[in-house]
Amino acid sequence: MKSLSLFVEKDTTIHRMNPISKIIYVFAAIVIPMLIGNHASALLVALLSFMLLLWAQVFRKVIPLMGFSILILFSIVVIQGMYKEGNHTPLFTLGSIVFYQEGIWFSAEICLQVLNMLEAFSLLVLTTKPPDLIESLVSKGLSPKFGYVLSSVLQIIPQMATTMETIIDAQRSRGMKMEGNLLTRIRAFFPLIGPVVMTSLISVKERTMALEVRCFTSKRKKTFLNVQQVTLQDKIFQGIMAICVAGSLLWRFVR
Amino acid sequence: MEKKSMWSFQISTSSLVLIPAAVGINYLGKLFAGVLKLPLWLDAIGTMLAAMLSGPIVGALCGIINNVIYGLTIDPISFIYALTNMGIGLAVGIMAHKGWLNHIGGVIACGCVAAVVSAVISTPINVAFWGGQTGNVWGDIVYAYFIAHASPVWVASFIDEAVVDIPDKIATVLIAYGIFKGLPRSLTVLYSNDNQIEKL
Repeated sequence: MKSLSLFVEKDTTIHRMNPISKIIYVFAAIVIPMLIGNHASALLVALLSFMLLLWAQVFRKVIPLMGFSILILFSIVVIQGMYKEGNHTPLFTLGSIVFYQEGIWFSAEICLQVLNMLEAFSLLVLTTKPPDLIESLVSKGLSPKFGYVLSSVLQIIPQMATTMETIIDAQRSRGMKMEGNLLTRIRAFFPLIGPVVMTSLISVKERTMALEVRCFTSKRKKTFLNVQQVTLQDKIFQGIMAICVAGSLLWRFVR
Repeated sequence: MEKKSMWSFQISTSSLVLIPAAVGINYLGKLFAGVLKLPLWLDAIGTMLAAMLSGPIVGALCGIINNVIYGLTIDPISFIYALTNMGIGLAVGIMAHKGWLNHIGGVIACGCVAAVVSAVISTPINVAFWGGQTGNVWGDIVYAYFIAHASPVWVASFIDEAVVDIPDKIATVLIAYGIFKGLPRSLTVLYSNDNQIEKL
């Protein structure tokens, strides 16, 4: 059964690392530059994430993920460069439009922040299978019911995406018009979403009963099929991350 | 037969199983809006429907899990907007429980409240991460206009977000309400609050 994920199958140290360590890394990578607050720290963390992505051999897959954000970042550079409050040092001009240094500097900070966040999350998402991630969260104390909910969403979305084509074809064959002016298109939305909702709610009823029959709400302690090993490497890594975050917090208060 | 408070954290299995279905409905709503080239996002239909059926807690959970899963599988930026969707789920759930959805005026008011909640929560996130912009072309044009006329960043960002959210959320709540009203009782009875579940 196809499951929704961005996971890239490779065999590197980072792939084998405990998912909880990777989550802690994401947290540290976002929080530390925010606490220290200058461009240099953001650049350093971005470079570190970049090297980790190269080590995990998944850097190529980050580029399509960045594609979503490139357009926004470009518009940010343009708008902040032109209109930011406190802009008074012109950097360069394009025709009659002036771009100011303060705005460009500020947008550079935003770009670095977004880059950091994207790289850190990509590191987590591209090197961890979602079922493993969910299992480690459950072993750390997340209720197994929520573990179920998260896993179930990952399976439902590809299923529903494949039914989308069927629904469009079925309604088209019954005379639904999908092209035309705005009113026609709005009217077409309802016969498309209607079957989706009905079938999902009916399957909710059936799934509920199937789960209850398999003791979903039983209060007994559940055992794990795969036991995630927490190695010394993981403990050391998590310790280092904790020290880095604490260090930057200290820096923030001492400065 | 006692009516459970809307803040009860005892979530029945049927409500839990509703959450993935609602996330799926969110996802398909977004897809269909894209296929039909509608000028709205329509990506919160499932969250609102879950809130109407099961209350604010389930609505909020639906919003959070929706963004967590999008973040893991489609677009990492979605993670940070989980709070916004949580807010929408809470707002619609509370209003549904308080009986605002009994007449069409109340439904539209519910949509406005959801839009304002969404804008209020998203604005600090937008300011912290994108410097105030939202990534939506029309909204950002509005933002640029206000910034160029020396408005404070918060105001410009809030208006940017609200201008896009209000039509979208009103449309979403009308669609979700239309579906909710049209559902047969055999499906809604699973979620109603004043039942007692017998366990062996």
